[in-house]
Amino acid sequence: MAAVLGLIIGVVTGIFLQPDIPIVLQPYLPIMVVAALDALLGAARAYFERSFSDKVFVISFFSNVITATLLVFLGNQLGVGSQLTTAVIVVMGIRIFSNVSAIRRFIFRG
Amino acid sequence: MAGRNEHEHARDERRRDPQSTLRHQRRRDKVNDDTATGSFPVVRRKPASRNLDRNATRSRMVTSALVMVLCALLGYGYMVQAHNTQSSYESMTEDELRRLFTETSSQVSKLEDRKTQLTEQLNSIKSAVDKQEQARLIAQQNEQTSGILSGRLPAQGKGVTITIAERAGKPIDAATMFHLIEELRNAGAEVIEFAGVRVITSTSIQRVNGNLVCDGVTLTSPYVVKAIGDPSTLQGAVDIAGGVGSDLKLDFGAGVAVQQVDNVVIETVRQPQTNKYAKTVE
Repeated sequence: MAAVLGLIIGVVTGIFLQPDIPIVLQPYLPIMVVAALDALLGAARAYFERSFSDKVFVISFFSNVITATLLVFLGNQLGVGSQLTTAVIVVMGIRIFSNVSAIRRFIFRG
Repeated sequence: MAGRNEHEHARDERRRDPQSTLRHQRRRDKVNDDTATGSFPVVRRKPASRNLDRNATRSRMVTSALVMVLCALLGYGYMVQAHNTQSSYESMTEDELRRLFTETSSQVSKLEDRKTQLTEQLNSIKSAVDKQEQARLIAQQNEQTSGILSGRLPAQGKGVTITIAERAGKPIDAATMFHLIEELRNAGAEVIEFAGVRVITSTSIQRVNGNLVCDGVTLTSPYVVKAIGDPSTLQGAVDIAGGVGSDLKLDFGAGVAVQQVDNVVIETVRQPQTNKYAKTVE
């Protein structure tokens, strides 16, 4: 409930404020968003498995975001930023898919 | 290994006095009866957590708030990124930029081509419209001119009115009358009406049964000829010495009066004749 409410608040704020993100942050924001999405879906899966822990969620959220950002930052330092971005996106995508499939199994029992 | 050693050790003991054996046995039992084992260390049980019950609602609120904040962050970041994704050339790699550039330039050239095509089309349409307009103007002028020429339209303008009174017993020759018309034409008469008959290209005058007949209309004296053109030239053409006016006066004794008029109105018209054989050259 809190998660849905928070999502709605964030989206509405983003729509109404429409701020310009600083250029330094520009390559990292999509990665952060995807990582956070993965954390959220992992939390949803844990919720359906009745093993949801808010502590774990908060930690996984931050660790996901920070790890992804650091990875892309490292890639930018090494000159392979876009490739690492792709790698992160791919991994997060796979995780999102597996989480969604687990959630689907819990919802549809199959 | 240890067991065998102990066994032998015990046998050795037994060989000694029983008292010491018993003492030894007691010592060994004390060691062996210890419940502590090496592989499974006993973990002391935690005292039941007191905080869980007391702070349950508060911690739940805090964590749900935290979750909400994180989700809000996620949604916010998502929207921001979704809004800013169009102008993020900075995050593109060289390859992507090059591809984008190529695509854009090819698109530009395509659009230029299209523009050229459309401009050509527009120009051709414009010129066609112009041509059509010109053709229409020309057709209008032609229509007027030829309408006046062919006698299809009434006309008015400066000109002269010539009244020819035939002397009784001296009928005027048809050829002389036609000569008069030709003289007027030579003098630049644009429209001529001969005694109520509009003169056109095929007009003829003949004498039938003592009467002048012009295009099938029998005429009677006096003949009034109206001509539109430069009045003085027309008058000169008729009144010139040795001209058709003097011919009429001298040969036929007719009275010829030429009058310059500011506005000669010729309202007689002729139906245009449709050509049966002649067609326009295309």
